[in-house]
Amino acid sequence: MSRQPMRRTIRGGRPYFFADPAIDKVLNMVVVLASEVWTLRERLMAMEAIQVTRGGLKAGEIDRFEFKPEDEANLAAQRKEYIDSLFRVLAEQVDEARRSQPAAKPVTKPAAKSARKSAPRKKK
Amino acid sequence: MLELKHDLRLAKTRDEKARMNFVSGLRAHVLNDMASGMRSVYDADVEPQFRREHKRAPKDGPEVHKAIKANDYFKFYSTLRVTAQDMVWQSVIPPLERNRPELKQKAAKLSGKGKARGTLRLKPNFEVPRYVSAIDVHLMAGNYDGEYEKDDLAAGSLYDNGLAVFSFGLMGQNLDDIGQSIAGFIRLKYPNLKPKKILDLGCTIGHNTGSWKDHFPEAEVHGIDVAAPCLRYAHARAQAQDREVHFQQMNAEKLDFPDASFDVVFSSMFLHEVPKKSIAKIMDEAYRVLKPGGLMLHMELPPNSQLSAYDAFYLDWDSAYNNEPFYKPFRDLRPEELCKKAGFDPKKYVQFVIPSVGWYGEKVWREAATRPPEVDSDKTGRLTDGILWYCFGAWK
Repeated sequence: MSRQPMRRTIRGGRPYFFADPAIDKVLNMVVVLASEVWTLRERLMAMEAIQVTRGGLKAGEIDRFEFKPEDEANLAAQRKEYIDSLFRVLAEQVDEARRSQPAAKPVTKPAAKSARKSAPRKKK
Repeated sequence: MLELKHDLRLAKTRDEKARMNFVSGLRAHVLNDMASGMRSVYDADVEPQFRREHKRAPKDGPEVHKAIKANDYFKFYSTLRVTAQDMVWQSVIPPLERNRPELKQKAAKLSGKGKARGTLRLKPNFEVPRYVSAIDVHLMAGNYDGEYEKDDLAAGSLYDNGLAVFSFGLMGQNLDDIGQSIAGFIRLKYPNLKPKKILDLGCTIGHNTGSWKDHFPEAEVHGIDVAAPCLRYAHARAQAQDREVHFQQMNAEKLDFPDASFDVVFSSMFLHEVPKKSIAKIMDEAYRVLKPGGLMLHMELPPNSQLSAYDAFYLDWDSAYNNEPFYKPFRDLRPEELCKKAGFDPKKYVQFVIPSVGWYGEKVWREAATRPPEVDSDKTGRLTDGILWYCFGAWK
């Protein structure tokens, strides 16, 4: 068997939820774009961190760079805020639902301990 | 995003890591924040509307699904979840594609003689069942068995690295939280159980198989699966982590092992990937290869009969929209009846809800071995903060 590139399309297609599937497709593009914006921000932060640390850049330096644990945690918190703000328009419907039902029980109870290293979540 | 620690991890650029981080964060947002938001919208709008129309609450998952389908929040939740699911795999494929030659070399080295103690046995003309070969389960292009060159293991790497992004930390640093939580729980709960041979059915990349070796180091541990690229990867992964596990290509519906040859027959997240007819055969085979006094244990999604109507709907989402055609049919079955039909004594049926050791920590997890919690409808089997693993089975 000769070497072939990996397949990237999903057999059976993907489901659509809006009356016009174009809405789902546009939203997909928006999220992919959001991912690229985030990627730029993360790269920029890496560059700044290197500049501060060493006062200059070498070729390939950013691709080899690893954040310190405290920077990683800071980045994860910022990423969480970024994603929250991206979908703020959807949170409006939830806020309204919760205002109309002040006694509704919270679905996610605070957990005893988080094992997650990559995305610490804000306690609300 | 979780960084894999073993030797087969992919070399990624800063941008590739950032994309994976984004997808992990997006999934955490959809599965925690938006899932909780959708519940609030349901309680405030959808359920009251249903009550007004029907003079009662929805009775099951399909009724909730029907009622919520037209709601905008459900549509955004769903389309974002599909988008995130797709992006999981798309974030892995570019670095994997670039690393394929090196990955193959590393795996060959790990599988070679020397340190290697585990084994790998594949069958050249093995027939992969259609329920695996014909679909891309959970939107994973190429599925578990897709091969793109001779001796390929790309599908195994796609699954391993994809799970690292997909799980946003909830499946443990080595993606073995299920195995570690359950194998350790069984060791604590049954201190007299000294298994000599343990079998993991549908083991894919063996990420949960190795946990049994960790908790029962004296036992001979076997993992079987139908997908050759996953088994090649599983073998190399176990070798890289210095775990002695024996992987073989086999269909769990028709095992090559003799009668009464295993003390423990385990599976995780497996039965919901196969059709009902095959589940019955798999249970029969598990019974056959178990020694008298042995334990069969399947880690699974909780059955619909033990969930509220809303939570049944919530888990059924995957069946409708995530290329999981056998997921709901499995969850509509009653686990105790499955065991009984396979020949197990109903008095020897067992069921556990086990706290994730990674999430809750050792103390809570250890306490659960003396007093396992009940099915918590909005935590059990659901990838969310505070996850609890469900499993069922029987003693032979």
